[in-house]
Amino acid sequence: MAQFRNRTPLSALIAGLVALAVVAMVVDRRSVLRSGSELSGWAGSVLDVAVPVEQMIALPFELTRDAWRSYVAVVHVGEENEALRARLARLEEENLQLREALVASGRLQRIAKIREEFEVPMLASELVGVDASAWFRSVLVNRGRNHGVRSGMPVISERGLVGLVTSTSKNASKAMLVLDRQSAVDGIVQRSRSRGIVRGTGTDQLDFEFVVRESDVRIGDVVITSGLDGIHPKGIRIGEVTSVSDPGSDLLQTATLVPAVDFGRLELVFVMLRRGSTMELLYQDEDAEIAGAARSLK
Amino acid sequence: MLIGTLAPMIQGAAGTFFPSRFCPDLSMLWIIGLGLYWPSAGGGAAISTALGFVVDLLSGALLGQHALLRLLAFGAARICSRQLNLRGTLPLMTFVVIFTVVNAAGSTLLTAFFTSGPVVDTTILMHLIPHSIVNAIFAVPVIRLVGGISSWLDSNARQLLVLQPRNGSG
Repeated sequence: MAQFRNRTPLSALIAGLVALAVVAMVVDRRSVLRSGSELSGWAGSVLDVAVPVEQMIALPFELTRDAWRSYVAVVHVGEENEALRARLARLEEENLQLREALVASGRLQRIAKIREEFEVPMLASELVGVDASAWFRSVLVNRGRNHGVRSGMPVISERGLVGLVTSTSKNASKAMLVLDRQSAVDGIVQRSRSRGIVRGTGTDQLDFEFVVRESDVRIGDVVITSGLDGIHPKGIRIGEVTSVSDPGSDLLQTATLVPAVDFGRLELVFVMLRRGSTMELLYQDEDAEIAGAARSLK
Repeated sequence: MLIGTLAPMIQGAAGTFFPSRFCPDLSMLWIIGLGLYWPSAGGGAAISTALGFVVDLLSGALLGQHALLRLLAFGAARICSRQLNLRGTLPLMTFVVIFTVVNAAGSTLLTAFFTSGPVVDTTILMHLIPHSIVNAIFAVPVIRLVGGISSWLDSNARQLLVLQPRNGSG
Protein backbone atom coordinates (compact mmCIF):
# COMPACT_ATOMS: atom_id res chain seq x y z
CA MET A 1 0.00 0.00 0.00
CA ALA A 2 2.82 2.35 0.97
CA GLN A 3 4.66 1.45 -2.23
CA PHE A 4 1.50 2.27 -4.23
CA ARG A 5 1.22 5.62 -2.46
CA ASN A 6 4.88 6.38 -3.28
CA ARG A 7 4.42 5.51 -6.93
CA THR A 8 1.20 7.46 -7.46
CA PRO A 9 2.77 10.96 -7.47
CA LEU A 10 5.51 9.74 -9.87
CA SER A 11 2.92 8.21 -12.22
CA ALA A 12 0.90 11.41 -12.08
CA LEU A 13 4.02 13.47 -12.83
CA ILE A 14 4.96 11.31 -15.82
CA ALA A 15 1.38 11.37 -17.13
CA GLY A 16 1.41 15.15 -16.72
CA LEU A 17 4.71 15.48 -18.60
CA VAL A 18 3.48 13.25 -21.44
CA ALA A 19 0.26 15.27 -21.65
CA LEU A 20 2.27 18.51 -21.68
CA ALA A 21 4.45 17.28 -24.55
CA VAL A 22 1.45 16.06 -26.59
CA VAL A 23 -0.51 19.28 -26.03
CA ALA A 24 2.60 21.31 -26.98
CA MET A 25 2.90 19.36 -30.25
CA VAL A 26 -0.75 19.89 -31.16
CA VAL A 27 -0.63 23.59 -30.28
CA ASP A 28 2.66 24.07 -32.16
CA ARG A 29 1.32 22.31 -35.25
CA ARG A 30 -1.79 24.50 -35.18
CA SER A 31 0.27 27.66 -34.79
CA VAL A 32 2.52 26.63 -37.70
CA LEU A 33 -0.53 26.07 -39.88
CA ARG A 34 -2.15 29.31 -38.84
CA SER A 35 0.57 31.88 -38.55
CA GLY A 36 4.05 30.42 -38.10
CA SER A 37 5.89 30.80 -34.87
CA GLU A 38 7.29 34.12 -33.83
CA LEU A 39 8.87 32.96 -30.59
CA SER A 40 8.56 35.11 -27.53
CA GLY A 41 9.22 34.78 -23.80
CA TRP A 42 11.41 31.89 -22.67
CA ALA A 43 11.27 30.15 -26.06
CA GLY A 44 12.61 33.23 -27.86
CA SER A 45 15.26 33.69 -25.16
CA VAL A 46 16.56 30.15 -25.72
CA LEU A 47 17.01 30.91 -29.42
CA ASP A 48 18.62 34.29 -28.69
CA VAL A 49 21.01 32.76 -26.16
CA ALA A 50 21.86 29.87 -28.50
CA VAL A 51 23.31 32.19 -31.16
CA PRO A 52 26.23 33.67 -29.14
CA VAL A 53 26.79 30.38 -27.32
CA GLU A 54 27.03 28.42 -30.58
CA GLN A 55 29.26 31.12 -32.09
CA MET A 56 31.55 30.79 -29.07
CA ILE A 57 31.59 27.00 -29.28
CA ALA A 58 32.27 27.15 -33.00
CA LEU A 59 35.16 29.59 -32.60
CA PRO A 60 37.94 27.00 -32.05
CA PHE A 61 36.59 24.94 -34.96
CA GLU A 62 36.51 28.05 -37.15
CA LEU A 63 40.01 29.09 -36.17
CA THR A 64 41.30 25.64 -36.97
CA ARG A 65 39.49 25.61 -40.29
CA ASP A 66 40.67 29.10 -41.21
CA ALA A 67 44.24 28.22 -40.26
CA TRP A 68 44.03 25.14 -42.41
CA ARG A 69 42.59 27.04 -45.33
CA SER A 70 44.83 30.08 -45.13
CA TYR A 71 48.20 28.78 -43.97
CA VAL A 72 48.50 25.04 -44.19
CA ALA A 73 46.93 24.94 -47.63
CA VAL A 74 48.63 26.95 -50.35
CA VAL A 75 47.82 30.52 -49.33
CA HIS A 76 47.42 32.43 -52.56
CA VAL A 77 45.95 29.62 -54.59
CA GLY A 78 43.32 29.09 -51.89
CA GLU A 79 42.32 32.76 -51.80
CA GLU A 80 42.27 33.04 -55.58
CA ASN A 81 40.24 29.87 -55.80
CA GLU A 82 37.68 31.29 -53.33
CA ALA A 83 37.42 34.53 -55.34
CA LEU A 84 37.07 32.68 -58.65
CA ARG A 85 34.46 30.33 -57.21
CA ALA A 86 32.46 33.28 -55.90
CA ARG A 87 32.70 34.96 -59.31
CA LEU A 88 31.72 31.75 -61.07
CA ALA A 89 28.70 31.39 -58.77
CA ARG A 90 27.62 34.97 -59.56
CA LEU A 91 28.04 34.44 -63.30
CA GLU A 92 26.18 31.13 -63.17
CA GLU A 93 23.28 32.75 -61.34
CA GLU A 94 23.24 35.64 -63.82
CA ASN A 95 23.41 33.22 -66.73
CA LEU A 96 20.55 31.21 -65.25
CA GLN A 97 18.38 34.30 -64.91
CA LEU A 98 19.18 35.39 -68.46
CA ARG A 99 18.33 31.97 -69.84
CA GLU A 100 15.18 31.89 -67.76
CA ALA A 101 14.08 35.23 -69.19
CA LEU A 102 14.82 34.13 -72.75
CA VAL A 103 12.91 30.88 -72.31
CA ALA A 104 9.94 32.66 -70.75
CA SER A 105 9.32 35.27 -73.40
CA GLY A 106 11.95 35.07 -76.08
CA ARG A 107 12.54 38.79 -75.77
CA LEU A 108 15.58 40.39 -74.21
CA GLN A 109 13.49 43.21 -72.77
CA ARG A 110 11.97 40.68 -70.43
CA ILE A 111 15.31 40.37 -68.63
CA ALA A 112 14.89 43.77 -67.06
CA LYS A 113 11.48 42.83 -65.69
CA ILE A 114 12.76 39.58 -64.24
CA ARG A 115 15.60 41.42 -62.58
CA GLU A 116 13.06 43.80 -61.08
CA GLU A 117 11.10 40.82 -59.75
CA PHE A 118 14.24 39.56 -58.08
CA GLU A 119 15.06 42.91 -56.58
CA VAL A 120 13.67 41.94 -53.24
CA PRO A 121 15.51 43.46 -50.29
CA MET A 122 17.81 40.79 -48.94
CA LEU A 123 19.50 40.47 -45.61
CA ALA A 124 22.84 38.71 -45.33
CA SER A 125 22.83 36.37 -42.34
CA GLU A 126 25.47 34.17 -40.87
CA LEU A 127 24.74 30.54 -40.22
CA VAL A 128 25.62 29.86 -36.59
CA GLY A 129 24.31 26.37 -36.02
CA VAL A 130 22.53 23.44 -37.53
CA ASP A 131 19.67 21.33 -36.24
CA ALA A 132 20.10 19.93 -32.74
CA SER A 133 18.51 16.70 -33.96
CA ALA A 134 19.97 14.46 -36.64
CA TRP A 135 16.48 13.71 -38.02
CA PHE A 136 15.57 17.25 -39.04
CA ARG A 137 17.35 19.66 -41.34
CA SER A 138 17.17 23.24 -40.20
CA VAL A 139 19.68 25.97 -39.47
CA LEU A 140 19.98 28.78 -36.97
CA VAL A 141 20.92 32.21 -38.34
CA ASN A 142 21.99 35.34 -36.48
CA ARG A 143 19.23 37.66 -37.70
CA GLY A 144 15.76 37.91 -36.19
CA ARG A 145 12.67 40.09 -35.82
CA ASN A 146 14.77 43.12 -34.89
CA HIS A 147 16.32 42.92 -38.37
CA GLY A 148 13.01 42.53 -40.18
CA VAL A 149 13.03 38.74 -40.52
CA ARG A 150 9.64 37.03 -40.23
CA SER A 151 8.40 33.46 -40.54
CA GLY A 152 7.61 32.48 -44.12
CA MET A 153 10.42 34.41 -45.78
CA PRO A 154 12.54 32.45 -48.29
CA VAL A 155 16.24 31.93 -47.65
CA ILE A 156 18.72 31.66 -50.53
CA SER A 157 22.45 31.59 -51.15
CA GLU A 158 24.40 32.62 -54.22
CA ARG A 159 24.01 29.04 -55.50
CA GLY A 160 20.26 28.67 -55.11
CA LEU A 161 17.39 27.93 -52.74
CA VAL A 162 18.31 27.19 -49.12
CA GLY A 163 14.94 27.03 -47.36
CA LEU A 164 12.30 28.97 -45.50
CA VAL A 165 12.25 30.84 -42.18
CA THR A 166 10.02 28.88 -39.80
CA SER A 167 10.42 30.70 -36.50
CA THR A 168 12.03 33.86 -35.26
CA SER A 169 13.10 35.44 -32.01
CA LYS A 170 14.40 38.97 -31.50
CA ASN A 171 17.91 38.32 -32.77
CA ALA A 172 17.82 34.85 -34.28
CA SER A 173 15.82 32.81 -36.75
CA LYS A 174 15.36 29.16 -37.53
CA ALA A 175 15.10 28.19 -41.18
CA MET A 176 13.93 24.83 -42.47
CA LEU A 177 16.22 23.62 -45.27
CA VAL A 178 14.80 22.26 -48.53
CA LEU A 179 16.44 18.98 -47.47
CA ASP A 180 14.07 18.57 -44.50
CA ARG A 181 11.44 15.85 -44.82
CA GLN A 182 8.74 18.44 -44.08
CA SER A 183 9.83 20.70 -46.94
CA ALA A 184 8.03 20.82 -50.29
CA VAL A 185 8.63 23.36 -53.08
CA ASP A 186 6.81 23.73 -56.38
CA GLY A 187 9.43 23.34 -59.11
CA ILE A 188 9.81 23.20 -62.89
CA VAL A 189 12.45 21.77 -65.17
CA GLN A 190 14.08 24.79 -66.75
CA ARG A 191 14.54 23.17 -70.17
CA SER A 192 11.19 21.43 -70.68
CA ARG A 193 8.99 23.35 -68.18
CA SER A 194 7.79 20.06 -66.67
CA ARG A 195 6.27 20.67 -63.29
CA GLY A 196 6.51 18.76 -60.02
CA ILE A 197 7.06 19.02 -56.29
CA VAL A 198 10.56 19.05 -54.86
CA ARG A 199 10.46 17.29 -51.55
CA GLY A 200 13.21 16.96 -48.94
CA THR A 201 14.28 13.47 -47.94
CA GLY A 202 16.22 14.28 -44.78
CA THR A 203 19.44 13.30 -46.57
CA ASP A 204 21.61 15.26 -49.01
CA GLN A 205 19.31 14.53 -51.94
CA LEU A 206 15.92 15.82 -53.03
CA ASP A 207 13.00 14.03 -54.64
CA PHE A 208 11.21 15.63 -57.60
CA GLU A 209 7.75 14.06 -57.26
CA PHE A 210 4.34 14.19 -58.93
CA VAL A 211 5.84 14.67 -62.39
CA VAL A 212 3.47 13.49 -65.13
CA ARG A 213 4.92 10.40 -66.82
CA GLU A 214 4.83 12.01 -70.28
CA SER A 215 6.92 14.92 -69.00
CA ASP A 216 10.37 15.38 -70.43
CA VAL A 217 12.81 15.06 -67.53
CA ARG A 218 16.40 14.06 -68.22
CA ILE A 219 19.55 13.58 -66.19
CA GLY A 220 21.40 16.89 -65.96
CA ASP A 221 18.25 19.03 -66.18
CA VAL A 222 18.15 22.03 -63.86
CA VAL A 223 15.06 22.38 -61.66
CA ILE A 224 14.07 25.87 -60.57
CA THR A 225 11.26 27.27 -58.42
CA SER A 226 8.05 27.75 -60.36
CA GLY A 227 6.69 30.51 -58.14
CA LEU A 228 3.30 28.79 -58.21
CA ASP A 229 3.41 27.82 -54.54
CA GLY A 230 3.14 31.49 -53.65
CA ILE A 231 6.03 31.08 -51.21
CA HIS A 232 9.22 31.21 -53.26
CA PRO A 233 9.85 33.63 -56.14
CA LYS A 234 10.12 32.11 -59.60
CA GLY A 235 13.48 31.16 -61.09
CA ILE A 236 15.61 30.24 -58.09
CA ARG A 237 17.77 27.23 -58.79
CA ILE A 238 16.86 24.22 -56.63
CA GLY A 239 18.99 21.42 -58.02
CA GLU A 240 20.03 19.18 -60.87
CA VAL A 241 18.46 15.87 -61.90
CA THR A 242 20.75 12.91 -61.19
CA SER A 243 18.36 10.05 -61.87
CA VAL A 244 14.86 9.49 -63.19
CA SER A 245 12.78 6.52 -62.03
CA ASP A 246 10.99 4.28 -64.47
CA PRO A 247 7.28 5.02 -63.87
CA GLY A 248 6.19 1.55 -65.05
CA SER A 249 2.42 1.56 -65.10
CA ASP A 250 2.17 4.58 -62.78
CA LEU A 251 0.80 7.89 -63.98
CA LEU A 252 3.53 9.85 -62.25
CA GLN A 253 7.29 9.64 -62.23
CA THR A 254 9.89 10.69 -59.68
CA ALA A 255 13.37 12.06 -60.20
CA THR A 256 16.24 12.51 -57.78
CA LEU A 257 17.98 15.87 -57.53
CA VAL A 258 21.28 16.95 -56.12
CA PRO A 259 20.73 20.37 -54.48
CA ALA A 260 22.28 23.43 -56.09
CA VAL A 261 23.48 24.57 -52.69
CA ASP A 262 26.31 22.70 -50.99
CA PHE A 263 24.77 22.56 -47.53
CA GLY A 264 27.95 21.17 -46.01
CA ARG A 265 29.81 24.40 -46.84
CA LEU A 266 27.02 26.86 -46.19
CA GLU A 267 28.20 29.82 -44.11
CA LEU A 268 26.38 32.88 -45.39
CA VAL A 269 22.75 33.00 -46.49
CA PHE A 270 20.38 35.75 -47.65
CA VAL A 271 16.89 36.14 -46.22
CA MET A 272 14.50 37.60 -48.82
CA LEU A 273 12.68 40.23 -46.80
CA ARG A 274 9.39 39.75 -48.61
CA ARG A 275 6.92 36.93 -48.33
CA GLY A 276 5.20 35.26 -51.23
CA SER A 277 1.49 35.82 -51.89
CA THR A 278 0.39 32.64 -50.09
CA MET A 279 2.46 33.53 -47.07
CA GLU A 280 1.06 37.05 -47.07
CA LEU A 281 -2.46 35.63 -46.85
CA LEU A 282 -1.43 33.17 -44.16
CA TYR A 283 0.31 35.76 -42.02
CA GLN A 284 -1.94 38.79 -42.54
CA ASP A 285 -3.43 38.58 -39.03
CA GLU A 286 -0.01 38.43 -37.48
CA ASP A 287 1.23 41.33 -39.65
CA ALA A 288 -1.74 43.39 -38.53
CA GLU A 289 -0.84 42.57 -34.92
CA ILE A 290 2.78 43.62 -35.49
CA ALA A 291 1.66 46.86 -37.15
CA GLY A 292 -0.72 47.49 -34.25
CA ALA A 293 2.01 46.86 -31.72
CA ALA A 294 4.34 49.24 -33.60
CA ARG A 295 1.63 51.93 -33.64
CA SER A 296 1.01 51.51 -29.91
CA LEU A 297 4.75 51.87 -29.23
CA LYS A 298 4.74 55.19 -31.10
CA MET B 1 20.30 21.18 -16.23
CA LEU B 2 22.51 24.01 -17.49
CA ILE B 3 25.15 21.62 -18.81
CA GLY B 4 22.38 19.57 -20.39
CA THR B 5 21.13 22.71 -22.14
CA LEU B 6 24.58 23.21 -23.62
CA ALA B 7 24.57 19.75 -25.18
CA PRO B 8 22.26 20.58 -28.14
CA MET B 9 24.10 23.88 -28.65
CA ILE B 10 27.45 22.08 -28.85
CA GLN B 11 25.84 19.64 -31.26
CA GLY B 12 24.43 22.50 -33.37
CA ALA B 13 27.79 24.27 -33.54
CA ALA B 14 29.67 21.06 -34.39
CA GLY B 15 27.11 20.31 -37.09
CA THR B 16 28.28 23.31 -39.11
CA PHE B 17 31.66 21.58 -39.52
CA PHE B 18 30.75 17.89 -39.65
CA PRO B 19 27.87 16.07 -41.36
CA SER B 20 24.98 15.54 -38.92
CA ARG B 21 25.20 11.75 -39.19
CA PHE B 22 28.72 11.90 -37.79
CA CYS B 23 27.74 14.18 -34.90
CA PRO B 24 26.74 12.42 -31.67
CA ASP B 25 23.30 13.12 -30.21
CA LEU B 26 24.77 14.62 -27.06
CA SER B 27 21.44 15.61 -25.53
CA MET B 28 20.07 12.06 -25.89
CA LEU B 29 23.24 10.63 -24.34
CA TRP B 30 22.97 13.15 -21.53
CA ILE B 31 19.41 12.03 -20.78
CA ILE B 32 20.39 8.34 -20.83
CA GLY B 33 23.09 9.26 -18.32
CA LEU B 34 20.47 10.95 -16.15
CA GLY B 35 18.34 7.80 -16.38
CA LEU B 36 21.24 5.72 -15.09
CA TYR B 37 22.67 7.99 -12.42
CA TRP B 38 20.17 10.66 -11.34
CA PRO B 39 18.94 9.82 -7.82
CA SER B 40 15.33 11.03 -8.12
CA ALA B 41 13.07 9.53 -10.80
CA GLY B 42 10.58 12.42 -10.70
CA GLY B 43 13.24 15.12 -10.84
CA GLY B 44 15.08 13.31 -13.62
CA ALA B 45 11.88 12.94 -15.67
CA ALA B 46 11.10 16.65 -15.29
CA ILE B 47 14.67 17.66 -16.28
CA SER B 48 14.58 15.29 -19.28
CA THR B 49 11.32 16.79 -20.52
CA ALA B 50 12.61 20.34 -20.06
CA LEU B 51 15.82 19.52 -21.95
CA GLY B 52 13.69 17.94 -24.67
CA PHE B 53 11.79 21.21 -25.06
CA VAL B 54 15.13 23.03 -25.48
CA VAL B 55 16.11 20.58 -28.24
CA ASP B 56 12.73 21.20 -29.91
CA LEU B 57 13.42 24.93 -29.97
CA LEU B 58 16.83 24.38 -31.55
CA SER B 59 15.61 21.93 -34.16
CA GLY B 60 13.01 21.72 -36.89
CA ALA B 61 10.79 19.45 -34.79
CA LEU B 62 7.44 20.40 -33.37
CA LEU B 63 7.57 21.76 -29.84
CA GLY B 64 7.06 18.75 -27.55
CA GLN B 65 8.35 16.08 -29.94
CA HIS B 66 11.79 15.72 -28.38
CA ALA B 67 10.33 16.39 -24.94
CA LEU B 68 8.30 13.19 -25.32
CA LEU B 69 11.22 11.22 -26.78
CA ARG B 70 13.63 12.40 -24.08
CA LEU B 71 11.14 11.37 -21.39
CA LEU B 72 11.01 7.96 -23.08
CA ALA B 73 14.84 7.82 -23.13
CA PHE B 74 14.99 8.62 -19.43
CA GLY B 75 12.34 6.01 -18.58
CA ALA B 76 13.92 3.33 -20.80
CA ALA B 77 17.37 3.87 -19.29
CA ARG B 78 15.99 3.82 -15.76
CA ILE B 79 13.89 0.68 -16.25
CA CYS B 80 16.50 -1.23 -18.28
CA SER B 81 19.25 -0.46 -15.76
CA ARG B 82 17.32 -2.48 -13.16
CA GLN B 83 17.55 -5.63 -15.28
CA LEU B 84 20.80 -5.06 -17.18
CA ASN B 85 24.25 -3.91 -16.21
CA LEU B 86 24.10 -0.69 -18.23
CA ARG B 87 27.09 0.72 -16.38
CA GLY B 88 29.33 -1.71 -18.25
CA THR B 89 30.85 -0.41 -21.50
CA LEU B 90 29.55 -3.00 -23.96
CA PRO B 91 25.94 -3.24 -22.66
CA LEU B 92 25.81 0.57 -22.55
CA MET B 93 27.00 0.90 -26.14
CA THR B 94 24.49 -1.73 -27.26
CA PHE B 95 21.70 0.05 -25.42
CA VAL B 96 22.66 3.36 -27.04
CA VAL B 97 22.66 1.83 -30.54
CA ILE B 98 19.21 0.31 -29.93
CA PHE B 99 17.86 3.51 -28.46
CA THR B 100 19.22 5.58 -31.38
CA VAL B 101 17.10 3.41 -33.68
CA VAL B 102 14.07 3.74 -31.37
CA ASN B 103 14.59 7.50 -31.21
CA ALA B 104 14.81 7.75 -35.01
CA ALA B 105 11.68 5.64 -35.43
CA GLY B 106 9.79 7.70 -32.84
CA SER B 107 10.90 10.94 -34.43
CA THR B 108 9.96 9.78 -37.94
CA LEU B 109 6.58 8.45 -36.85
CA LEU B 110 5.66 11.58 -34.91
CA THR B 111 6.67 13.77 -37.85
CA ALA B 112 4.67 11.59 -40.25
CA PHE B 113 1.68 11.75 -37.89
CA PHE B 114 1.66 15.52 -37.65
CA THR B 115 2.76 16.31 -41.20
CA SER B 116 2.36 14.52 -44.51
CA GLY B 117 5.89 13.13 -44.65
CA PRO B 118 6.63 9.51 -45.62
CA VAL B 119 6.61 7.01 -42.75
CA VAL B 120 9.29 4.63 -43.99
CA ASP B 121 12.23 5.91 -45.94
CA THR B 122 15.17 3.67 -46.83
CA THR B 123 17.52 6.64 -47.19
CA ILE B 124 17.20 7.27 -43.47
CA LEU B 125 18.88 3.91 -42.82
CA MET B 126 22.04 5.14 -44.50
CA HIS B 127 21.96 8.02 -42.06
CA LEU B 128 21.06 5.87 -39.07
CA ILE B 129 23.93 3.36 -39.25
CA PRO B 130 26.85 5.81 -38.91
CA HIS B 131 24.88 7.97 -36.46
CA SER B 132 24.19 5.08 -34.08
CA ILE B 133 27.86 3.99 -34.20
CA VAL B 134 29.03 7.54 -33.40
CA ASN B 135 26.50 7.71 -30.55
CA ALA B 136 27.79 4.42 -29.14
CA ILE B 137 31.39 5.68 -29.24
CA PHE B 138 30.52 8.92 -27.47
CA ALA B 139 28.15 7.22 -25.00
CA VAL B 140 30.81 6.05 -22.57
CA PRO B 141 32.56 9.40 -21.90
CA VAL B 142 29.32 11.46 -21.90
CA ILE B 143 27.43 9.11 -19.59
CA ARG B 144 30.42 8.71 -17.26
CA LEU B 145 30.54 12.52 -17.06
CA VAL B 146 26.86 12.59 -16.04
CA GLY B 147 27.62 9.87 -13.46
CA GLY B 148 30.50 11.89 -12.06
CA ILE B 149 28.41 15.07 -11.81
CA SER B 150 25.50 13.19 -10.20
CA SER B 151 27.71 11.54 -7.56
CA TRP B 152 29.41 14.87 -6.84
CA LEU B 153 26.05 16.58 -6.36
CA ASP B 154 24.85 13.64 -4.25
CA SER B 155 27.90 13.72 -1.96
CA ASN B 156 27.53 17.49 -1.53
CA ALA B 157 23.88 17.01 -0.57
CA ARG B 158 24.84 14.31 1.97
CA GLN B 159 27.45 16.58 3.56
CA LEU B 160 24.79 19.22 4.09
CA LEU B 161 22.57 16.68 5.81
CA VAL B 162 25.20 15.56 8.36
CA LEU B 163 24.05 16.72 11.79
CA GLN B 164 26.55 18.83 13.62
CA PRO B 165 27.01 18.08 17.40
CA ARG B 166 25.91 20.81 19.72
CA ASN B 167 28.52 22.75 21.60
CA GLY B 168 28.12 23.65 25.28
CA SER B 169 27.55 21.87 28.57
CA GLY B 170 24.21 20.41 27.53
